Amino acid sequence: MKEKMDSIKNEALSLIESATTTAELNDVRVKYLGKSGAISALMRDMAGVPKEERPVVGKLVNEVRFAVEDALTKKTEYLAEVEKNARLKAEEIDVTLPSNGNEMGTLHPLTLVKNELIDIFAGMGFSVVEGPEIESDVFNFQLLNVPKDHPARDMQDTFYINENTVLRTQTSAVQARVMTTTQPPIRVVCPGKVYRSDDDASHSPIFNQFEGLAVDKHITMGDLQGCLQTFAQKVFSKDTKVRLRPSYFPFTEPSVEVDVTCSMCHGKGCRVCKGTGWVEILGAGIVNPAVLDMCGIDSKEYSGFAFGFGIDRIAMIKYGIPNIKMLYENDVRFLKQFN
Amino acid sequence: MLAPISWLKDYVDINVTPEVLAKKLVAIGFEVEDIIYQSKQVSKVVVGKIVHVEKHPNADRLRVTQIDIGEKTLQVVTNVPVVGGEVVALSLDGAHLANGLEIKSGELRGVKSEGMLCGLEELGVSVDAVEGQDAKDIVRFKDGTPLGENALVALGYDDVILDVSITANRPDCNSIYKLAKEVAVALNTECREPEIKYNVVGGNVQDDVAVEVKNQALCPRYMAASVKNVKIFPSSQKIKSRLIAVGIRPINNIVDITNYVLTEIGQPMHAFDKRELGGNKIVVRNAQEGEVIVSLDGKENRLKSDMLVICDETKPCAVAGIMGGLNSGIKSDTQAIIFESAKFARDNVRRTSRALNLRSDSSARFEKGIDFGSQELGLKRALTLICETGSGDVQDGIIDVKVDYDKTREIEFTTRKISEILGCKVPKARLIEILNKLGIAVKDNGKTLTAVIGEDRDDIVGVNDIAEEFIRVYGYNHIKPTLFEYSALTEGSKPSKIKFVDKVKNVMVACGLDEAVTYSFVTPKFADDLNLAEDDELRKTVTIVNPLGEALSVMRTTLTHSMLETLAYNKTHFVKGAKLFEVAKTYIPKSLPLEELPNEVETLSVGMYGDGVDFFTVKHAVEELLRALGKDAEYVRSSRPFLHPGRSAEVLVGGKSIGFVGEIHPDVQETYGIDNFRVYVAEINLDALYDEKEFETKKKVEPFSKFPTVDRDLAVVVDDKYLAGDLLSAVKGAKIKFLTGMKVFDTYKSEQIGKGKKSVALSFSFACLDRTLTDEEIAAEMAKILSALKRKVGAKIR
Repeated sequence: MKEKMDSIKNEALSLIESATTTAELNDVRVKYLGKSGAISALMRDMAGVPKEERPVVGKLVNEVRFAVEDALTKKTEYLAEVEKNARLKAEEIDVTLPSNGNEMGTLHPLTLVKNELIDIFAGMGFSVVEGPEIESDVFNFQLLNVPKDHPARDMQDTFYINENTVLRTQTSAVQARVMTTTQPPIRVVCPGKVYRSDDDASHSPIFNQFEGLAVDKHITMGDLQGCLQTFAQKVFSKDTKVRLRPSYFPFTEPSVEVDVTCSMCHGKGCRVCKGTGWVEILGAGIVNPAVLDMCGIDSKEYSGFAFGFGIDRIAMIKYGIPNIKMLYENDVRFLKQFN
Repeated sequence: MLAPISWLKDYVDINVTPEVLAKKLVAIGFEVEDIIYQSKQVSKVVVGKIVHVEKHPNADRLRVTQIDIGEKTLQVVTNVPVVGGEVVALSLDGAHLANGLEIKSGELRGVKSEGMLCGLEELGVSVDAVEGQDAKDIVRFKDGTPLGENALVALGYDDVILDVSITANRPDCNSIYKLAKEVAVALNTECREPEIKYNVVGGNVQDDVAVEVKNQALCPRYMAASVKNVKIFPSSQKIKSRLIAVGIRPINNIVDITNYVLTEIGQPMHAFDKRELGGNKIVVRNAQEGEVIVSLDGKENRLKSDMLVICDETKPCAVAGIMGGLNSGIKSDTQAIIFESAKFARDNVRRTSRALNLRSDSSARFEKGIDFGSQELGLKRALTLICETGSGDVQDGIIDVKVDYDKTREIEFTTRKISEILGCKVPKARLIEILNKLGIAVKDNGKTLTAVIGEDRDDIVGVNDIAEEFIRVYGYNHIKPTLFEYSALTEGSKPSKIKFVDKVKNVMVACGLDEAVTYSFVTPKFADDLNLAEDDELRKTVTIVNPLGEALSVMRTTLTHSMLETLAYNKTHFVKGAKLFEVAKTYIPKSLPLEELPNEVETLSVGMYGDGVDFFTVKHAVEELLRALGKDAEYVRSSRPFLHPGRSAEVLVGGKSIGFVGEIHPDVQETYGIDNFRVYVAEINLDALYDEKEFETKKKVEPFSKFPTVDRDLAVVVDDKYLAGDLLSAVKGAKIKFLTGMKVFDTYKSEQIGKGKKSVALSFSFACLDRTLTDEEIAAEMAKILSALKRKVGAKIR
């Protein structure tokens, strides 16, 4: 009996050892541990073993069964691992192949810059206001201290719809609308398209302006400078400096042109700033008291500042866009660069 | 404004370089756009002396010369008949001449030549600008001229001219004298007054002419003086050179004096030939409607009654402030003249000049505004120049017809107010000193100050102007940046509408579309290009009166035209595929002609072409947008004339069309030159989708089932005419319980199914919030679905 058991055991263990697939192992399992398998037969043969020998023989049979089962389990796990690794190897792909090509779209650089500007000025307490692009002469000019036939109208070549309606030449028109309907404190920015009949290498008849207005008690030129310095440092770089130069706009008095240190050379002087270290970016000033009064705000009590610049120009400086026309050609190879 | 530094020096001592002067002018508000060095307009042309001349060995008409240019002697071959000892202008190797020629050393007929002899034309110098040269000959200098010197310098053509941009509030500074005053402020020195010195001879102006001003609103001041025994001759070299330096062509002594005074004092002048003033009268009046005058330039002008003219007893002799008449101009035999020095209303000159399309230096100056201070100064300066140049005998007296006006204006203010405007400390003594320097007298009343403004500074009307005058000289660097130190806090915000548009754009970007920005105005042909019907509402456009050209003359009523042009642009620039969107306004008039401002409708346009793009790619973008905005849409066939009739749909929200999606009609593709590939577009009225309250309402999360979802498929046969949407609406209308989703996943046709029929496969999902659904429950709902499909679209189960 003992020899028979040892022989079954050795035979089974050797078959397990030589099996190379889980299918072969399964055959071994059926052959020895299946219903009519050799080890199952041994269990059945126990019936013929004398009662007193049964514990001993039973123990031996169990030892054989456990040994075979244990070997089977270990080998099954081993082969499963081997087969899994083979499958993973077979499933290898070229990970440098491109993805399925569903690219994200892009926002236009003018939108990107506008959004950035809105965030910067919202942080300083400015709200965004919009107004019509086809505007009455009253809001675009007259309430801004530019009566008809005023020489300052030559500063802006205006598209007319009729005698009293124009394509707005400046988003200041929106400021006039705000001032005639709201009482201070006012702090607004007005982004939007503006139109001037000027079309050459460096001008587009349509461009985008971003104007700001603050009206309250005790608003000073210092506040204007502080506000613009904050803007310039956020939109360009932390080391950007701001310089005010006297100028003239009918809407403001005193009026200034505002230069910032060149973002290309950081003020050292380069081709972009024509060696001066400074780039002119905007016009600004203290709101002309006549404008406040015309709009129904008491200039004795309140003062304000206003500023305005071209979003196009900021985008061109920021992204190094050489020609304003590129912004309106919409060549996909240009647009795709603003992810 | 062109300002030769030599002319400025008549009035102010300038001891700094032009560059330093320019910087100082910019700092006080006068932007110098350019510094023009006359002597640098050509390079490498020097003075040389011909020391030897011999015949060219191989050419009869050429000479071989040796020319001493100081440091060395060069060999130059020339066809000019020169002789030894002559001093000439020689361009050297590498010289760039005014006519664009670049000089290179080389050989002429086998003989080395190291330069070229130059005439005035090659140097870009007008013969009037320099003395003693012949325009047709080469330049020749006096013996003794330093050899090797810049030839332009040797010619005396070496002024430095500042091109100064004068802001509209300082029209007075469009003159050498007033600009010199500002230079004096910038350099902290003194400015001299113009020299007024003339003798009067013989009779009185009153005997020569009578002046009557009939419209003093348009002519607040008219001054006249008389000059007899006039001699007409070319002006002195100084006057001619200066006029040329500022871009004015010298004519004769009298005309040149009027232009000289215009430039120097800023007062436009006119000289009438006295012979032509009938009745010895000058009448300033409105023109008669239809009255005709031939102006100096030979142009015939038909006048209107709102235009101002200068007339004699009967006929117009000048369009006031703009141009003289051909009849009364200065001729070579003019013997007596009447000088006019007047102030005409800015607006009227501007309107008349534009209406007649007649422009002159005089009208340009009047349009900017002339103050009361310069008529007398200008006239007396002209008379001084008459005497100085010996051009005639000045008659005694000056006629001065003027309205009453205040010679000075007083503004009371405090240093505190100035300080409040600027946000910096204002030292009183410095303030007074600066204002005085600018010609503004200041009275100190203790608590307040009073500024006395002269007649030449119309722009100073209030304390803000005083603040500007102070700070532009004191320096903006005295202002320290602050951020709303003393004013109220405000909350920065974005209005709901902007957030809405941002959301639309973000959905488009997520769908893989790139944002485009195009012009708001288009050609009026767009309507024909899009095949729009004659009565299509989109043809009613807002039109620009003065467009840049017809192609940019109407405000667009649809974005699709611009989108097609943009796609065509990309295609012709070798871009393989494009998926674009634009959010912009369309301009819809409420009535035509406009009685009120038009509606500006926020509109979304989508356009695509290229591999992997079809109708459903565009539709996907529209569906995602509507899903993001929480809108249910239906799609029905569109009949827009520019869309493919079988591949286009109207997008209905709440039963109303809010736009379209579709493939472009082949006829229209051809028009846009994009006929060899398919183009897909969509246009959506965003305002129709926008409701502030709805947009700002935050959606609450809806519960979903934790129990298994059961899917059931159903294939039915329907008539071909039914669209997938019809089947889905049929089911929607049947109020099916537990239904959480449905879609059409396949449609196909075959002979087996039958002619005019198609098979549609649908899948449905069911779930319940509080339990697992039984097969019976689902079967009951599926039966309802089938019966709804039978009823609505005659579906049969396959």
